[in-house]
Amino acid sequence: MLDSFNQTPFLHSVITIGSLLIFAIGLVGALTKKNLFKIFLSFAIIESSLFIYFIGMHFEVGKVAPILTNEVTEFSTNMVDPVPQAMILTTIVIAIAVLALALSFIINYFKLTNNMRVDEMNELGEDR
Amino acid sequence: MNLKKEIRVSTLFVSLVVSVMTILLLPIFLDFDLTSNSLGSTLLTLNKNQTSSANVVTSVVTYFRGFDTLGEVTILFLSIFGIGLGLDGYKDKLNIFAYENELLKIAVDVLFPLIILFGFYIIIHGHLSPGGGFQGGVIIASAFLLMFLAKGDSFELNHKIISLAEALSGAGFILLGVLGLILADRFFGNFLPLGSVSNLFSGGVIPLIYIFVGIKVSAEITALVEYFIRIKDVG
Repeated sequence: MLDSFNQTPFLHSVITIGSLLIFAIGLVGALTKKNLFKIFLSFAIIESSLFIYFIGMHFEVGKVAPILTNEVTEFSTNMVDPVPQAMILTTIVIAIAVLALALSFIINYFKLTNNMRVDEMNELGEDR
Repeated sequence: MNLKKEIRVSTLFVSLVVSVMTILLLPIFLDFDLTSNSLGSTLLTLNKNQTSSANVVTSVVTYFRGFDTLGEVTILFLSIFGIGLGLDGYKDKLNIFAYENELLKIAVDVLFPLIILFGFYIIIHGHLSPGGGFQGGVIIASAFLLMFLAKGDSFELNHKIISLAEALSGAGFILLGVLGLILADRFFGNFLPLGSVSNLFSGGVIPLIYIFVGIKVSAEITALVEYFIRIKDVG
């Protein structure tokens, strides 16, 4: 019975549903929260769902990581695709950089206006 | 606490819309078929002959897509630069996360060199095992974060050394690329002997690139940690 769970299409559907759920959680947080800090943390949650989706969809049952070890002694097609992993490594670093920059903007905004809520922003002088 | 006050109507409405959207999108994503991994298998074949690095992800990041990594490191540098401009420096600021705990204060003297050593191990073995410059750099920065937490205001970084390490490693990274352009076929080309697979001295130019990336990332993330931890104005 456990073998039927350990199939590539089943695992791909689990990863798809799970990462879409995390995406939905992050989207709801970004749309409904009023605190700037929580909005950007929701964006970080959305990013993590994308990482899970990319890495998970390129996993296939029976394939090993593209690294030579004591057991795996030569490169073959029995290894997973290394390109998505390298690209996600790039994306994680960029996500950290952008999140840190956004948090520094939030800190500066809070120091200037003593306000961190999006619905109370009125720097451009709109009618409310 | 009353539940009706906690959840707003707009939250419920947005959650409903997002869940309907997710359910509508699910069939599209579930039908998605994997494209053939011809690029991946080509790179696996190329890696056998060209780089002799045991970790293909490392050789994709530093050798086949080295120019991309240069852009990534540039983005990280620019973002730290922007944070430094915005938060107007670390001078005359107080550490807000200092933690009065004798256990932490004593343990950090033992743990600090070990964590630094572990970070350098991860960086140097990037072409043999999972890990590499970015991961090891973040581990080294976590050692400095531990020092900030334990020592409080009495721990200060030497910013000259950090800027020097960052500048020299960035220059060395680009210098390796230019040397590859001159001595070998392309930017970040390999001009060193390859060695045999799974040795520490193997992979040609890949370990050198990852050592430079690791020093640069550790300096940048350490500066980032200080910017965010030393944030309270004096007085």
